[in-house]
Amino acid sequence: MVATAATSSFFPVTSSSSSDSVGKSSKHGVSSANLGGYKSKQSSNGLNIKANAAPSKINGTAVTTAPVKVENDSPSQHHPRTFINQLPDWSMLLAAVTTIFLAAEKQWMMLDWKPRRPDMLVDPFGIGKIVQDGLVFRQNFSIRSYEIGADKTASIETLMNHLQETALNHVKTAGLLGDGFGSTPEMCKKNLIWVVTRMQVVVDRYPTWGDVVQVDTWVSAAGKNGMRRDWLVRDAKTGEILTRASSVWVMMNKLTRKLSKIPEEVRGEIEHYFVNSDPVVDEDNRKLTKLDDSAEYIRTGLSPRWNDLDVNQHVNNVKYIGWILESAPQPILESHELHSMTLEYRRECGRNSVLQSLTSVSGADIGNLADSGFVECKHLLRLDDGAEIVRGRTGWRPKPINNFDVLNQFPSQST
Amino acid sequence: MLKLPCNGVDRVHLMSQCGFMGRPTSFFTGRSSVKGFRSTKAYPVQAVASAKDGAVVNRVEADIGSLANRLRLGSLSEDGLSYKEKFIVRSYEVGINKTATVETVANLLQEVGCNHAQIVGFSTDGFATTTTMRKYHLIWVTARMHIEVYKYPAWSDVVEIETWCQAEGRAGTRRDFIIKDYATNEVIGRATSKWVMMNEDTRRLQKVSDDVRDEFLVYCPRELRLAIPEENSNCLKKIPKLGDPAHNSRLGLMPRRSDLDMNQHVNNVAYIGWVPESMPQEIIDSYELQSITLDYRRECQQNDIVDSLTSVEALEGAEVVPELKSTNGSGKAMDDKQERQQFLHLLRLSNEGLEINRGRTEWRKKAAR
Repeated sequence: MVATAATSSFFPVTSSSSSDSVGKSSKHGVSSANLGGYKSKQSSNGLNIKANAAPSKINGTAVTTAPVKVENDSPSQHHPRTFINQLPDWSMLLAAVTTIFLAAEKQWMMLDWKPRRPDMLVDPFGIGKIVQDGLVFRQNFSIRSYEIGADKTASIETLMNHLQETALNHVKTAGLLGDGFGSTPEMCKKNLIWVVTRMQVVVDRYPTWGDVVQVDTWVSAAGKNGMRRDWLVRDAKTGEILTRASSVWVMMNKLTRKLSKIPEEVRGEIEHYFVNSDPVVDEDNRKLTKLDDSAEYIRTGLSPRWNDLDVNQHVNNVKYIGWILESAPQPILESHELHSMTLEYRRECGRNSVLQSLTSVSGADIGNLADSGFVECKHLLRLDDGAEIVRGRTGWRPKPINNFDVLNQFPSQST
Repeated sequence: MLKLPCNGVDRVHLMSQCGFMGRPTSFFTGRSSVKGFRSTKAYPVQAVASAKDGAVVNRVEADIGSLANRLRLGSLSEDGLSYKEKFIVRSYEVGINKTATVETVANLLQEVGCNHAQIVGFSTDGFATTTTMRKYHLIWVTARMHIEVYKYPAWSDVVEIETWCQAEGRAGTRRDFIIKDYATNEVIGRATSKWVMMNEDTRRLQKVSDDVRDEFLVYCPRELRLAIPEENSNCLKKIPKLGDPAHNSRLGLMPRRSDLDMNQHVNNVAYIGWVPESMPQEIIDSYELQSITLDYRRECQQNDIVDSLTSVEALEGAEVVPELKSTNGSGKAMDDKQERQQFLHLLRLSNEGLEINRGRTEWRKKAAR
């Protein structure tokens, strides 16, 4: 399933091609097969020279030297999402599969491309670039030492910060940045801002110091007046999917603080960036219940520091996650890692707010955590006076064993 | 019987004769041995054979080392005595002034220090220890940190930080930094830090022994090189303990889980965040931090509660007017129109009042926008 999601998000293509599901069974045939299998098939047929160059790489770390150029920049015509459904059409399939190769090759071998295609090199400063025919923004991040948390892996806040950064850079690179917050020029004129209402994150593996992650992000419509932004985070070297996230945004008037419909002028600005694809994370539609004082774990007196505030002196969304985890029970934090998170944002808070973080553990016996596999917790972040800031649900799974030694290595040879 | 050749060029021939078209990575595991030899470019054997007389064909792109090492925008200088790295400022590292916060700067300094240590072969467990240090269970701890920023970078600016380390007397080492705006090559900040060795089991300080000193001195400039050469600079001045009662305070600060570094200690940078917590709002609104100096005395654990205290410090030649130290602890500093202000700080453990660190900050009036 994940693979399907991955490839479909990889080609989150145009709304024009209708997905009249021709051959539903074929959906699984092409996309979820491992790409390795495809490549060898291709090469043996010798279908085209460019594809031929690919196979020797998959097995390892070979440098690509084949002049595979043209395909990379214009994959769009050949791979509407429905290519999956058009399996009987072999020429379409082959064209599409070639595109998969090239996209995967680009994915895995980015650094090895020869300098004569400098724009294809990983951008050295991690500024990011638009790919996929203008619809997806991609940026790489090298995990810095101060982004590593007590678990010796990148913290969930680091990951969320990266997501926020790519979202802003996407809007900026697309020329739509009216202010520093993702408001388009038309929105600024009308005093409208985006506010996040919902966020879902699933982490399959946390990166560690020195890893490089590649974040892809794109937007879609969410209902008539909302926007959904999805992210897919991969290991830049291996292409392994590390994290998937999906968020829902609505428009609010920043002066009246009332929600607003998307005005026509704004719709004109952003509509053609919307991609018609399924959410990259399966929607968790279970109702998030509000905790009350009977929650087992409560931490009070949390307050924002100067460093937590953005230019408007509001607390950055990502900080809420840190506060939510402040009341997570220590035994869970020690033996488990955060695997999934669903958050509903209700209200914002500012410099002088004092917050309380509540956690309730469902299903598992805290005393017996060693034996529990998956544990789920419910969370509430609220102000002293009870006003709700964020509601959440988190899923935890036992930590993988190798985390503990991952950093205790001395470089085997100096450069 | 094929005799295995020993030198690199012959090895290349050997492989191509076997019809091996891909990259001969496995042969060239020692990176240093690879330099100067190039692999074939997916072309038939003949092309390689012609390289026999030493004309190299292509470079072996040995893919040893993590992607980050190759992407790492940092490298040792020509003489190997300092290390430079570039960083881009990310949106979430920018604060209320639309510019990077001093914590961001401190984080980047920490990162470049760690990367320098790693690239010269010190441990990568976060402690940057030499082999001898590990033998004796010794680790480096920060004793003093001084950061000056002349111009804060904004979102998506690229800064280049150069760092080097040197011995400092018998007891410690110092690590200096110069921060430049990569686009303009202008120096936008400087920093210096002093480190001492501590036994990680007994938590007692220890002098730098000669064998440890020799291990790292190799990487240090021979002549004294100071990032901040000025003699009367604040980076050297003693920091007195501020008077009781302090002009301003913020009590009951708690370390968060995100303040812990990979060694489960409260990271140095968290302290830099606590210091301005007790600054009066008026100063934060109209001034920006020009420099911060911290003397680290004691560590703070995750479960400790911290008080942050601030008092105005008279600048040379001026005096603090007593009546302004007053009302409801707002500690309104001398005169808002002043170009510069200076403050003394104290972070202490709440319950017993033990000092965690002492600090001094200088502030300059923000440019009108």
